[in-house]
Amino acid sequence: MIQTASVSALLQVALPNAARPAVVAVGILYFAVVLGISVWAARRTRTARDFFVAGKGIGLVALTVASVSVSVSGFAFIGGPGFIYAVGLGAMYIVLPAAVTNVMGAWVLAKRMRLLGEARSLITIPDAIGVRYRSRAAQGLSAVAILVGIVGYMATNALAMGVVINSIFGVGLGWGIWIGMGVTLAYSASGGILAGIYNDVFQGTLMALASVLVFIFVLQFGGGLGEISRTILAHDPAFLGPWGKLTPLAALSFFFVFSMGSLGQPQAVHKYYMLRDPLQLKWYPLLKTLGLVLVLLLYFSVGVGVKAFVLSGRLAPLASPDQATPALLLNVTPIILAALVFSGVAAATMSAANSFINIGAAVVTHDLPVAFGRRVKNELRWGRTVTVLIAIAAAITAQRSGTMVAFLGIFGWGLFASTLVPALAVGLNWQGATRAGAMASIATGLIVTLALETVAYWKVFTFPAGVTASAVAMVSSFLVFFVVSWLTRRNAPTEIDPDVRLVMEL
Amino acid sequence: MGDATRSTALVALFIGIAAIAGGYAAAFISGGTPVWAAWLLALGIPVSLAAIMILGAARGRRGIGPLKLPFVFVALVLVIGFVAALALPATEGPLSTLWLGLPARAAIVIYGVGLLPIVVLPIAYALTFETQTLSAEDVERVRALARENQAAIESGATEPMDNQRRG
Repeated sequence: MIQTASVSALLQVALPNAARPAVVAVGILYFAVVLGISVWAARRTRTARDFFVAGKGIGLVALTVASVSVSVSGFAFIGGPGFIYAVGLGAMYIVLPAAVTNVMGAWVLAKRMRLLGEARSLITIPDAIGVRYRSRAAQGLSAVAILVGIVGYMATNALAMGVVINSIFGVGLGWGIWIGMGVTLAYSASGGILAGIYNDVFQGTLMALASVLVFIFVLQFGGGLGEISRTILAHDPAFLGPWGKLTPLAALSFFFVFSMGSLGQPQAVHKYYMLRDPLQLKWYPLLKTLGLVLVLLLYFSVGVGVKAFVLSGRLAPLASPDQATPALLLNVTPIILAALVFSGVAAATMSAANSFINIGAAVVTHDLPVAFGRRVKNELRWGRTVTVLIAIAAAITAQRSGTMVAFLGIFGWGLFASTLVPALAVGLNWQGATRAGAMASIATGLIVTLALETVAYWKVFTFPAGVTASAVAMVSSFLVFFVVSWLTRRNAPTEIDPDVRLVMEL
Repeated sequence: MGDATRSTALVALFIGIAAIAGGYAAAFISGGTPVWAAWLLALGIPVSLAAIMILGAARGRRGIGPLKLPFVFVALVLVIGFVAALALPATEGPLSTLWLGLPARAAIVIYGVGLLPIVVLPIAYALTFETQTLSAEDVERVRALARENQAAIESGATEPMDNQRRG
């Protein structure tokens, strides 16, 4: 859920050099396990369906842990705690929606996506949009929107990997980018989504373990949450106000964008196709929500804990808020815990990168050709080729232009949300939605997001406090979707095939 | 009943989104963001989230059946949490009473908005799954259709995906 901010967080963080023997040893062990899983998965990947949607599917627990892993990027470990340290509890509005997003996704999308996959052998999100509206153009447009978002995510994740690997091994940022992307590429290209999923399982487990251990440590070190709160309230009571130091509008904006917007994140939605047995969806929201809560314990505890430790003089003042996690790990916690968390951050960035590489490759080799009425003959071979090209392009972009990479990374979440939520999430549940409405909505989301983010980034225009480009784009896209669908409502009944209608009515 | 549920949910979703849009539009008014802009979001967000969940959960004539209670509960929890945070006076200080380690307004948001829905919604989803979401019979109906689609493709008749090409 929290990919967007990760980018700026990990880009701006000059993570301290953590290359202690224990950190390096755990880092090497981590990479060895990742490579082992990749070799195993590569042997099981034989078709394009294996490569893009894990063939005959994944079991419930594995898919849940993998989904948690791709939903949480390095932001939850580095940028997020720093954000809490800077603005107080207002930063929690980014993660509070996790209480509803997974079950909301299950009711709104999971069943219909999974059954559409069954009925039509779909493998991508644009596939679902194309089938729903019986429109190659809608499929192509949504594919373009996803590709634009992925360009940003990939470059920023490549840079984030470089930052983390440099911190663990002290190899320099450039080598960090190539090592991180090289390992990710090795398992993305060889084992596709199957390697990605099982690496996600390992990485998600690692992240949850690190998060829970840090949470327990912070509470013990601080004398409990009550004692931590007392320390903060004595020095900075506004920090523990319900909005922290944000305006109510800003905090609520976060809640809106990260709750409703979750329905348009392809890295999470795509997973619905992969569940082996659709009836296993029954426990998916509960397990995923519990997994997310575990992984996000670090976000809350480090942000609040470090604030109290600095205020009470137990920790030196931070050079910048983003140093909250590194400062705690390298100065207070046992080194083995620091090693686990640094590997967890590497895991989070690699997991996200792998997922986006796979989705990007599917867009290029499957959705765009379908939009133009063509089929790539050997989707598996081309999938692997495009995977390599995307990874190399991302690594080169990450090294060449820091400003541009920072800009690209800002709008990913909002772009996916504004282009996909109305057309996909509402469209799969409302037979009155029309092809024209969907296309107008996707185009509106794309144009408004790019235009507003551009003028905001280059400071041509400053939004009022609390208003974000992502939120305005998503609201605009929704309204356009409703209005255009209503205006073209006579077309609606003819735009749904019987099997799609059945899936929508179940 | 089912259509009525979906229609109501759609109208509620539109109203919720329109309220959020109104809140953002108000922020552009010269002279600063009016206080009521945040109230529009505090009400519009729970309404739109509950509406889209109902839209997804509504099932034919059955509507949302026993899920009414969980949906109402969660919408209320979100509204009460946001409204309490907006309306209660700021009394945080060294002598504040702590609720589970946090001052009152923060506790309402963190434990109410952030944790209470977890206790209710995923459990409600699981307990009503077979009746309200998906049964083995539903899956078999879709699989039968998929087999028909496949047979049609193999026999050279209409390919389902070809139907898209009209768009």
